Amino acid sequence: MSSTIDADRRALLAALAGLTASWGTIRPAGAEDIEAVTAPAQPRTTVLITGSNRGLGLEFARQYAARDWRIIATCRRPESADQLNELASGNPDMFVEALDVTDHEAVDRLAARYRQVPIDVLVNNAGIGGGMENQLFGRLQYEVFSTVMAVNAVGPIKMAEAFIEHVKASGLKKIMTVSSSQGSIAQVNMPMLYWYRSSKSAVNMLMANLALQLKRRGVTVGLVTPGATATDFIAEEFRKRIPNIRQPDQATADMIRNIDRFTLETTGQFFNYDGSVLPW
Amino acid sequence: MSSLTNAVSALWLAAVLALISVFGGAAVSPVRAAAHTGPQILDQQEVPVLQESLGEDYVPTVLITGSNRGIGLEFARQYLERGWSVIATARRPDAAEALNALAEKYPDRLAIEQLDVTDHARVDALAAKYADRPIDVLLNNAGIGGGSQNQVFAQKMDYAVFEEVLRVNAVAPLKITEAFWKQVAASRDKKIITVSSSQGSIERATRPSLYFYRSSKAALNMVMRNLAELLKRREIIVGLVNPGPTDTDFMAGLPKSMLRPTPDAVADMLRNIDGLTLETTGSFLQYDGSIIPW
Repeated sequence: MSSTIDADRRALLAALAGLTASWGTIRPAGAEDIEAVTAPAQPRTTVLITGSNRGLGLEFARQYAARDWRIIATCRRPESADQLNELASGNPDMFVEALDVTDHEAVDRLAARYRQVPIDVLVNNAGIGGGMENQLFGRLQYEVFSTVMAVNAVGPIKMAEAFIEHVKASGLKKIMTVSSSQGSIAQVNMPMLYWYRSSKSAVNMLMANLALQLKRRGVTVGLVTPGATATDFIAEEFRKRIPNIRQPDQATADMIRNIDRFTLETTGQFFNYDGSVLPW
Repeated sequence: MSSLTNAVSALWLAAVLALISVFGGAAVSPVRAAAHTGPQILDQQEVPVLQESLGEDYVPTVLITGSNRGIGLEFARQYLERGWSVIATARRPDAAEALNALAEKYPDRLAIEQLDVTDHARVDALAAKYADRPIDVLLNNAGIGGGSQNQVFAQKMDYAVFEEVLRVNAVAPLKITEAFWKQVAASRDKKIITVSSSQGSIERATRPSLYFYRSSKAALNMVMRNLAELLKRREIIVGLVNPGPTDTDFMAGLPKSMLRPTPDAVADMLRNIDGLTLETTGSFLQYDGSIIPW
């Protein structure tokens, strides 16, 4: 049997499997020429995580994989995401995808590729701090603000927009964004991190709006925070100085517990890692 | 973006720096060398002595952005009626007919300046032009809505519009503050006020709409809360005021019965601006004087 026929048969079988699983096809998103990743016959709970190459995103992939979920793990440069690749090797249900969340065309292409795959939990984890030195009053670097906003605020809403049909087609139907207690306007006491903080307030507002919009469609939207965690996000020399800094596995386990806890009744809330509700 | 510092580490650092400043900053040089914080930069700045007199002949000055129409124009009118000096900015002064008419009535006290608040070089140039002028109230009024049709989730989200809305509504007030704070610090009243919106209250969001506009106001509120804390030490009062739904071009399309007359909206905001003190700095004030939750 030639390999072409073999490939055709595989595609047909996969397509049939997709249909028999009655998932149907999620919106083509105007990209019919993009080859779809076909959904394996056995339905699986699926999570898509952005910024999954390191830190909390990597830990999300690890912990959801330990639950036997299907993982779509994205990062900007998969070729250098050694730990993620290692985690994915030998796991046929972990898909590593290149994605810069600020590249909206790439987001749309990825959504088209996975148009046959329902996504139970979309985890908007990718985020940047912008560098403290770029956001000092008197020396504010305004071009950095655009980047911080593009990643932290626009990225999550664009992802939600591109993947909304995938989420609606799933069982759990959750859109979760990693925010920060630094985005709480009510808790500001020391002036700093203008860009980072305002991007988190902005994303909080976007997600609060989205929660209101999607509630009647049965989609739960939530904001979670990890607390101060020992990842690359915090420069090494600073980590040592933070008392009781949290480890990524604990911080992620806490966020996952809060994501599990989210229901349509609590949709739109801003959960601190300990399960308390943060003020806006 | 390699050496990203997390917020919490920065919080810790800021706390340390605050302690250093309290204890005179004698030692702990490694920390001081490692960190550049806003407060530190601010503390290095000298505020020029610009007031010649605080006597009865003192004429306070307000600088108002977006002053060609609507609320901005009415702010100019009411401050002029009070006897203040007004620096009124607009993107296109040539086309600002009502403002120009006002300038004929008050030739000595109204100066009209061209300014697009997203043009940072122009902001800096204007600040340089008025370097010797105390500014009692810096009034960030210019704002845009972005068009409700451009911010409908899963139908049409025009992200280029979002960027523009953020630049005008959230970034510009910060840039203008950064450019003019010394003139404010050198004035009598020392107030930096920004027109926000109750639409920027996350707590009060009950219906999904205006994703970009709301998000820009939430971002703005965060920026101003930070500035309130920062500028307190220079005795500058920072505030956010809300006009309520007002009968201006901004709200075109809404039934008049839902809208408040512009003179009332501005009079309410003026009363709230007058009432702000260092004790209430950073407040988000509804037009009736109540506090809007974040």
